[in-house]
Amino acid sequence: MTRLRAEGLSLGYDDRTIVDHLDVAVLDGKVTAIVGANACGKSTLLRGLARLLAPRDGAVFLDDKPLADLRKVDVAKVLGLLPQTPVAPDGITVADLVARGRYPHQGWFRRWSNDDHDAVARALDATGTADLIDRPIRELSGGQRQRVWVAMALAQDTDLLLLDEPTTYLDINHQVELLRLLRKLNAESGKTIVIVMHDLNLACRYCDHLIAMSGGAIVAEGAPVDVVTGDLVEQVFGLSCLVVPDPIAGTPMVVPA
Amino acid sequence: MTTTTTTSDRRSAPSGTAAALRANRRRRAGRSLVVTCALTATVTALFVLTMMVGSFRIGATEVIASVLHLSDNPSVDFVVRGLRLPTAAAALTVGLALGASGTIFQQLLRNPLASPDFVGITSGAGLAAVTGIVLLQAGGLVVSGLALGGAVAAALAMYLLAWRDGVSGYRFILIGIGVAVFFEGLIGYVLSRAQLFEARQAMHWLIGSVGQASTTELWVLTAALVVLLPVATLLQRPLSALALGDDAARMLGVRAELSRAGLLGTAVVLVALAVSVAGPIAFVALVAGPIANRLLGPAAQGVLPAALVGAALLLTADLVAVHLLPTPLPTGVVTGAVGAPYLLWLLATTNRQGAGG
Repeated sequence: MTRLRAEGLSLGYDDRTIVDHLDVAVLDGKVTAIVGANACGKSTLLRGLARLLAPRDGAVFLDDKPLADLRKVDVAKVLGLLPQTPVAPDGITVADLVARGRYPHQGWFRRWSNDDHDAVARALDATGTADLIDRPIRELSGGQRQRVWVAMALAQDTDLLLLDEPTTYLDINHQVELLRLLRKLNAESGKTIVIVMHDLNLACRYCDHLIAMSGGAIVAEGAPVDVVTGDLVEQVFGLSCLVVPDPIAGTPMVVPA
Repeated sequence: MTTTTTTSDRRSAPSGTAAALRANRRRRAGRSLVVTCALTATVTALFVLTMMVGSFRIGATEVIASVLHLSDNPSVDFVVRGLRLPTAAAALTVGLALGASGTIFQQLLRNPLASPDFVGITSGAGLAAVTGIVLLQAGGLVVSGLALGGAVAAALAMYLLAWRDGVSGYRFILIGIGVAVFFEGLIGYVLSRAQLFEARQAMHWLIGSVGQASTTELWVLTAALVVLLPVATLLQRPLSALALGDDAARMLGVRAELSRAGLLGTAVVLVALAVSVAGPIAFVALVAGPIANRLLGPAAQGVLPAALVGAALLLTADLVAVHLLPTPLPTGVVTGAVGAPYLLWLLATTNRQGAGG
């Protein structure tokens, strides 16, 4: 079962093609990580799947309908994405920011309903940010800020949530905290989650499914235990290494040789 | 937070957070309403006051009765309707237009410095008007028309120059500043070719004054405000999403380019008409939005309150310029004198926070 998939998808900027005729299906109800070296096209693929980038060729399908044919606001009720560097307006408070996630559910004249309040409250509670609602974003720590952005994406109440490198600017503690939060959301609501990330060990530990990319193509795909081998890491990252089982979870762990 | 989160209470939100959110939203909506009402009252009072003072003092009730055509007193009617109403109406409408336009630009380009004064739109209008005055010996409506055309042409040129798979805030500002400097240079060239009389006229126009408006120009601006202020208030919704960055806005279902084009179009028409009526009055568009924001609370960003602040500022500046100073001065001198220190403060603090981009 897959609600979001791409067929023969080519993506690029200006005259450079970055992702070339790629087929991919996002597994429903799973946490998927897209990994790969810098500039391998993983963020580009995510932006393509989220229709932030128009396909050069091929198409992305949501519920078997081409994404390009759907109304933007209808897509926004099903598919959400947290960009790599979202912008917080100057002085904005947590409550105000998270509330803006309700945009696709509101109309020009119908503004705030009980559903909206409840969705925002659920998002704040799930991310543990409920006691921050009156605080300006600027004053928060990096970890808190990232949880607030996730709360905004949750308030949008979509079945599919894509996150572009959400852990990049966090320390190890906050990285793990965020990934645990995403796992919890997946377990509790069956939300489909796709994360682009750099840390292979954390990806193996916290994700059900791994998509490894190199040079704009998918080189391996599957459960971390099945796909992560020394050869794959060598091929994708150019790093010779040893893959050992994680002493706690038993998932693959990469140790540079 | 509640102690445990189980699957069953996921759908029924814990009431504590929802209640806190409701209270938060009520508080903000209440503040916004109070601020908007207070601003409306202030602007109305200033509007009436402007028509009361002068060498011939008139009471408030007489002014109101005369403006609304409720009384019939030829001498009062002549002073109020004939002499003072055009200036007061110009200050009111130009202020509203500049305030609304400035805040739209600042929010859309995500930069407090991005007011139309700085990104070349006003200088486009200035170049066209000065060229008209100096080379064509034009005056009145022709100059206004030229200013309008110049502002729109400058905005279009900047939009096209800044276009690269869409228009990003930062590039638009940099190109706008470049265009502004280019136009200022051309204005200097045109002025250097002018005869003394025309140069004086051109300089007077460039400083900006609400006292030079013609009735036709005022009607056009008023009609534009009646249409565009409600439009801008409606577009506030996509605008607040666009403030989160283009990607985030598009993921929320905003048609980013369309909304931005609509917002820019609205703001450009408002500022172009304002400049064509009163000349390039400095700083009102720059300060109105931030002042309204201070009053409303962080990131509330209402277009209507900003417009009202703009009107209040310009009416006050006109009162000061014409009545409080020993010799009457053009309005632009007063707004410039007040606005320049604010700009310095803004530059200093923006740099310190590193929030300029």
